[in-house]
Amino acid sequence: MIVTRETFRRLCRARDLLVEIPEERLSIAEIAQKIDVSPFHFIRQFQSLFGVTPHQYRIRSRLDRAKLLLATGEHSVTDVCMEVGFSSLGSFSDLFTRRIGTSPSAYQHQARVSVQVPGTLPQKLFPGCLSLMGCLPPTAFRNFREARLTTAR
Amino acid sequence: MRIRITSIMVDNQEKALRFYTDVLGFQKKHDFPVGDYKWLTVVSPEGPKELALEPNANPAGKTFQEAMFAQGIPVAAFEVDDIRYEYARLKARGVVFTNEPAKAGPVTIAVLSDTCGNLIELYQPA
Repeated sequence: MIVTRETFRRLCRARDLLVEIPEERLSIAEIAQKIDVSPFHFIRQFQSLFGVTPHQYRIRSRLDRAKLLLATGEHSVTDVCMEVGFSSLGSFSDLFTRRIGTSPSAYQHQARVSVQVPGTLPQKLFPGCLSLMGCLPPTAFRNFREARLTTAR
Repeated sequence: MRIRITSIMVDNQEKALRFYTDVLGFQKKHDFPVGDYKWLTVVSPEGPKELALEPNANPAGKTFQEAMFAQGIPVAAFEVDDIRYEYARLKARGVVFTNEPAKAGPVTIAVLSDTCGNLIELYQPA
């Protein structure tokens, strides 16, 4: 599939709308209407470009935002739940636990104990560019060396 | 000093691995679990350089990635021998292109979405 410049621009606009958390959240159909595409084509084109449906993208964005707020440690779980657009603490906790693998409160605790410098994000949960390399086992680097030696032969 | 590994940020490492191997045709090289994420790299069957598929978990990285994408700027370029062939092959696999093959100075380029938040340029030298 080839997307035109205009369609690309519209889908990027839709992506921004999905991430926004206004008082009155737009439905997927309303977002499709805002970018002048039928809901069917919107979902199909969005998934082709971004690899997930608009609904999945919205959920992931809200959980990513929740992780960030929990990790900074300045908000309660209830505050975070409201801040990212959930109205029910139960459904937020349930979704967070299913997707992230730990409850919001446990995640917050994990982040707090791994912060080395106040005000910074824990490297373990929010790795920077290529920083994961520093956490590899020694055998990984042996593999790199072996690969290099093999290539050099 | 040598260039051995370069990286690209992805929004989901599992999805990225499927795209870069099953769709593009690279091969998985390293896959080590590191906390919530992985040290995950792929290589081309034609060369030893590794491409790390790193998580865009850091908000700074995500902001950069989203901005580059919205501006239509590719974050990596892969060389191909026959860009028309690759374009047809990948399109048949459902890959979305934002630019079809077109001459650009000394190269012919096309741009595709990797479905993980990035635009990737394919180029064929003249």
